[in-house]
Amino acid sequence: MADPDVLSSAYPAAASSSVRKHPAPLDDSLAASSDGGPSFAKRPKAATEPPTPGGSAASPEVDVLALVSLTAGIYPLARAEALRGLSEVVERADASCSVGSGIVECSYECAVELMRDEDEGVRLAVVRLVGACAQKFSARVDADANGYGDLMDIIFLQLSFMARDMCTQVRIEAFSALGKMQQVSEGVLLQSLSKKVIKTDTMCGSIINGQKLPPKLKIPCAAGVFSHGIEDEFYQVRTVACQSLGALAKFSKQYAEKALDLLMDMMNDDTRAVRLQTLQALFQMATYGCLSVQEKHMHMFLGLLVDTSALIRDAARKILGLVTLPKLQMFKSAVDGLVTSLEKNPEEQDLYGILFSIGKNHGSFSANIAKHLAKEITMASDGELILDKPRVKALLIVSISAPFSNDKHKKLDIPSAIFSHAISLLGKVSCALGDVNQDLLLSYLCHKSGMPFWENRSISAEFGESESCSVQTMEIGAHIENTAKATKCVDEAIVMQSMKAILETVEGAWTMRMSCNICEVRTILRTCKEELNVLAESSSGSIGAFLSFLCEYLDATQLIIEIWQLIQLDNSYTFGLTSVEILLEKLDISIRRMECCFVGLNRELEVQVLELSLIAHLFRLSNIGVCKVVLGKLLQVINRLEGLSADGSYELSGLSGEIKKAFDDNLTGVNLISNIHTLFELFRLKPTTDFGMLKAIRAVLQVSDNDSENPSSYVSGLPVGVSFNIFLWNISSHHKLWIRMTIGESVQFTFLDFSCFGCNDDMKSGSMVAPLYATPMVCSFVLRVCLVMECPYGGNSTHWGGHGGPSDCVVQLSDELDVYFVSTWQS
Amino acid sequence: MSIECLLLGAGQEVGKSCVVATIGGKRIMFDCGMHMGYHDHRHYPDFARALALWGAPDFTTAISCVVITHFHLDHIGALPYFTEVCGYDGPIYMTYPTKALAPFMLEDYRKVTMDRRGEEEQYSYEDILRCMKKVIPLDLKQTVHVDKDLVIRAYYAGHVLGAAMIYAKVGDAAMVYTGDYNMTPDRHLGAAQIDHLKLDLLITESTYAKTIRDSRHAREREFLKAVHKCVSGGGKVLIPTFALGRAQELCMLLDDYWERMSLKVPIYFSAGLTIQANMYYKMLIGWTSQKIKDSHAVHNPFDFKHVCHFERSFINNPGPCVLFATPGMISGGFSLEAFKKWAPSEKNLITLPGYCVAGTVGHKLMSGKPTRINLDKDTHIDVRCQIHQLAFSPHTDSKGIMDLIEFLSPKHVILVHGEKPQMAFLKERIESELGMPCYYPGNNESVSIPTTKNLKMSATERFITSCAAEQGKRRGHKGNLVCGASVSEVIGSSEDMDVAEGILLMNKQKAPKILCDDELAEVLGMERHLVQFEPMVSRIEAAVQSELQRAKAADSGSEGNE
Ligand SMILES: [Zn+2]
Repeated sequence: MADPDVLSSAYPAAASSSVRKHPAPLDDSLAASSDGGPSFAKRPKAATEPPTPGGSAASPEVDVLALVSLTAGIYPLARAEALRGLSEVVERADASCSVGSGIVECSYECAVELMRDEDEGVRLAVVRLVGACAQKFSARVDADANGYGDLMDIIFLQLSFMARDMCTQVRIEAFSALGKMQQVSEGVLLQSLSKKVIKTDTMCGSIINGQKLPPKLKIPCAAGVFSHGIEDEFYQVRTVACQSLGALAKFSKQYAEKALDLLMDMMNDDTRAVRLQTLQALFQMATYGCLSVQEKHMHMFLGLLVDTSALIRDAARKILGLVTLPKLQMFKSAVDGLVTSLEKNPEEQDLYGILFSIGKNHGSFSANIAKHLAKEITMASDGELILDKPRVKALLIVSISAPFSNDKHKKLDIPSAIFSHAISLLGKVSCALGDVNQDLLLSYLCHKSGMPFWENRSISAEFGESESCSVQTMEIGAHIENTAKATKCVDEAIVMQSMKAILETVEGAWTMRMSCNICEVRTILRTCKEELNVLAESSSGSIGAFLSFLCEYLDATQLIIEIWQLIQLDNSYTFGLTSVEILLEKLDISIRRMECCFVGLNRELEVQVLELSLIAHLFRLSNIGVCKVVLGKLLQVINRLEGLSADGSYELSGLSGEIKKAFDDNLTGVNLISNIHTLFELFRLKPTTDFGMLKAIRAVLQVSDNDSENPSSYVSGLPVGVSFNIFLWNISSHHKLWIRMTIGESVQFTFLDFSCFGCNDDMKSGSMVAPLYATPMVCSFVLRVCLVMECPYGGNSTHWGGHGGPSDCVVQLSDELDVYFVSTWQS
Repeated sequence: MSIECLLLGAGQEVGKSCVVATIGGKRIMFDCGMHMGYHDHRHYPDFARALALWGAPDFTTAISCVVITHFHLDHIGALPYFTEVCGYDGPIYMTYPTKALAPFMLEDYRKVTMDRRGEEEQYSYEDILRCMKKVIPLDLKQTVHVDKDLVIRAYYAGHVLGAAMIYAKVGDAAMVYTGDYNMTPDRHLGAAQIDHLKLDLLITESTYAKTIRDSRHAREREFLKAVHKCVSGGGKVLIPTFALGRAQELCMLLDDYWERMSLKVPIYFSAGLTIQANMYYKMLIGWTSQKIKDSHAVHNPFDFKHVCHFERSFINNPGPCVLFATPGMISGGFSLEAFKKWAPSEKNLITLPGYCVAGTVGHKLMSGKPTRINLDKDTHIDVRCQIHQLAFSPHTDSKGIMDLIEFLSPKHVILVHGEKPQMAFLKERIESELGMPCYYPGNNESVSIPTTKNLKMSATERFITSCAAEQGKRRGHKGNLVCGASVSEVIGSSEDMDVAEGILLMNKQKAPKILCDDELAEVLGMERHLVQFEPMVSRIEAAVQSELQRAKAADSGSEGNE
């Protein structure tokens, strides 16, 4: 072996020339595509370039084979470049088809062989490739389930091995790949935390007592990879390790507990970026509900609350606002810590919100605090208890949060003295609750404190001008237990915070779309959507509506990125031509849902939706070529955007402006298609967080007394009635709803007249019997039914099959139901 | 060719590291340490015996070079003796920091032993200076050509300031001697760092052959918690420590914590410490951890923000404080003075280093929980303070050793600098888990390691072309196979190697060459001959007989399966 220094200096020149000088190593069929060697990797990026004559006929398999053979070369730069090429191919491969999965498997095998390569650059490329393959594998595991679990474990261990590399870059890459792993068995996850090898049976990955055991650790240094990662010399590595450590916590409770211990230790790290990242990981764990703080962690948490960095303090507080503490002692020390923090930084008022939510999360503990506080209040003679003291204020907030807690089964009686004192903190309390109506709050507090409540009396003088409350006539009774509503408000504050964080991530991801790392963007968007879904499920009202709007919005964004990638590729070897169309159709539906299924879209939101539909129409143009109908629709959208900006308070975005200009210049559509790259560049993803009084249109359809065990009977050929219970939310009289009933290919629409439905706040409900006119001549069938709504912006009125159904532009409002029928005449 | 390894020290023991490796006629001495536990002939490696074994006239002709890994006395303690008393006059290599710090360590020790025991002087201060003059300094990753054949290179080892791992190569034979190293970084030193090298032999320390240490963060957390608790209760913290290394490490930790928690309690350094720390660390910043290297331009991390000016009288001041004082084992000096003052109060805290020599106050405190310590007949100290045992260590643990071995994947491993039972345990693991032959010879034993020899040869164009075509075909085949195959098969099939057939032609005058078998005649300049044999009946009969018998044997063997 020659001296490595000498060798490495000779690499750059030798690498490229060697490939060209010796085409001989490859037989003829391969030579054509491998001639370009390393430059192959860049080819898919240059989308507009016409395919090279030599490579046009080549299938991806041939490319892959050529690249694979290059990875066995003797020049490290060439090997690394070949591996990077494979990563590109893998990222574009569709793992669900056999060709695609073959490519992924082949590339993975190739990467594994080079895991111990002498060259750092090669090892770096190996990690990236293995990471990309793992994501493809896990996508496939979703599709065809069983058998690949072990593979994911093996990949996890291989990446763990790479995470112990001597090269910093390799370690960073390996840790980030580890954080994206899925379907890893618990044993392997636990092993990644402990340097000591957890003894397992010799049986490889066998299942004992229903618990899956990890495959026997063939690479001893893969053990405890996270313990090593968080001790790494380079903060970049530690940051990524913390991130991944937290990201994997959602998969296993046991792992989460142990990971927490490691993460808590990171709070003493000497680099602030690492500490912040750790807190973020903890916050994420808390959001997923897998953060269980124990007594031994309290010292660290309390330290964080008085950290000199405001960012750290803020992050630590947010986490405390989400966790559940198992012991009263811990709860008290947490509250004390928050009080100390408040005393040191009195300007940080959001602390009251945290105090409220931590109190709310621990109802009985707060009640305990309240009891002591009440005693303190009664014992203190008038002057002594100064309400200005931050401590007393804080404890009052905690105390009044108790009735809002979820421990409904416990009767928490809070001394009325607490409430009467809390009245003087009205502003703070309402702020802590996230801008709840102060009038409501006041009446609630007054009621709780046993004070008489005066009608129409302005008490503003007592609270200062800024907190003026003109209390209207209100029935105290109606607001006595307004707890539910107030609780919601608190949740809202937290939800808003996490939502904003998510949206920031989305914006960040969007800016990455151009840097060609589509796979990563996709993953980020998917995770964001998951997180939003979690939030959406637990909220209601406007914010709930907005969260579901955002879910839809992310869906559309993801589709746009997906379509854009396909359009850019201009190459349909992994996707049929139709897949763009399918995706476009999906995008249309998604946009339509945003347009139609929400009431009270404010201008920002409406502009957002319209911009999405601009993009959708542009994509359609580029897909099918110039088309009058699409151009017409495009013009319609532009006109609406212009209308919105008519009052001058809002300016057309770059994208809309450009398209408008194209229309003004008498467009043919050709210029739009040829400019699509520039136009797409102009598109800005700017999700607003201002949602006003957004409401979601929702519907639930139920069929009474019918399931597969208990089918309805009918006489074939004759009409049959189906009776429905229908619940509608936020539907008003101008909406046109239809019941869609499908048997196989044939569809029947029945118009829904809900004018007679009972009305309760935002919800209408009623039942009706819809006739199904043409029952099939079979002995049994399944009817699929759902509620659809006509889009107000549907435009053209071509009717469905001439049967007088809805316009062809509908959105589905309810889930599709199966109704089972069985013929009474058994033939 | 082979590597001959003779252990003059640190064989199945910790102390006096000294390994002599003979590679292709070159003899390299790695480390030249003393054993501080012995004061007889075992104090130094048995140089005379080795010289007799080699049959050389003197050490300078016997040994090509001496390489020292770091400044600890068990790695460098015998060097002045070897050069000035035994008379070795060849090249000596060590890193810059080691060269800078070694004289102080050596002189310190020389003085202590002379004062304490009045031992006969092995070497003088002048000897130390003369010896250090001969040292050639090394830079990290610098390739040094000791002579025409021998190449050495140093890699970062962590452990202490200036510690290095040494790579040595003669011809195709290459080895690494680690010295002491640490695979996890601490606050002021980085982790060991080395390239992927093709090695025939790795000689590694194995101080913690069996221990797996928990994370450094846990140790730091415990330490900070103890200190914080003490000072917030108004107590005083005494941290007895060695002058170099641990003191800076702990102070960086505290300084950072003080900053974050905005604590105002003063931190003091007893006089000797500050001077040494500032002098060496500022000078040798390039050898510290990444964080320090990154930030020292803006702020020298060894200018501690919260360390206050100190005077001896402060020891009597009221109120909380933290004091770093030498010596580490409270064997005397200022740390003992402070201990006497502070130990009686239960509010105070004393931390103890990981290791204390028997007989020192530190050792007494470590063993059990004494409430009273008798310094001499007349002096007693009541110990009511809290005691916190530090668990920091600059050595890698068994996981780290395994990780390094796995990363380097040498053909053979030799363990030194460890205790026999633990070494046996580690050897077992290395052989079973990593599949590498492993040895742990005792002192004055030697091990011979076979090495690889690479032969340069040329090949005919036809041979290369045919190989390549073959390879291409196989790749193609493999690819097709993979596309349809399930994953398990893919993983299993990663072992296959491409094999090419040819004839190796070696000729005394010419370089060796590989060619295709049908090229042979042409290359040798000979004509092709065809030889035909007349079949002989008796031979054929014999062949048939033996074939039948074999078949029968096979039948009877496989009956059970039918
Ligand atoms: Zn040492």
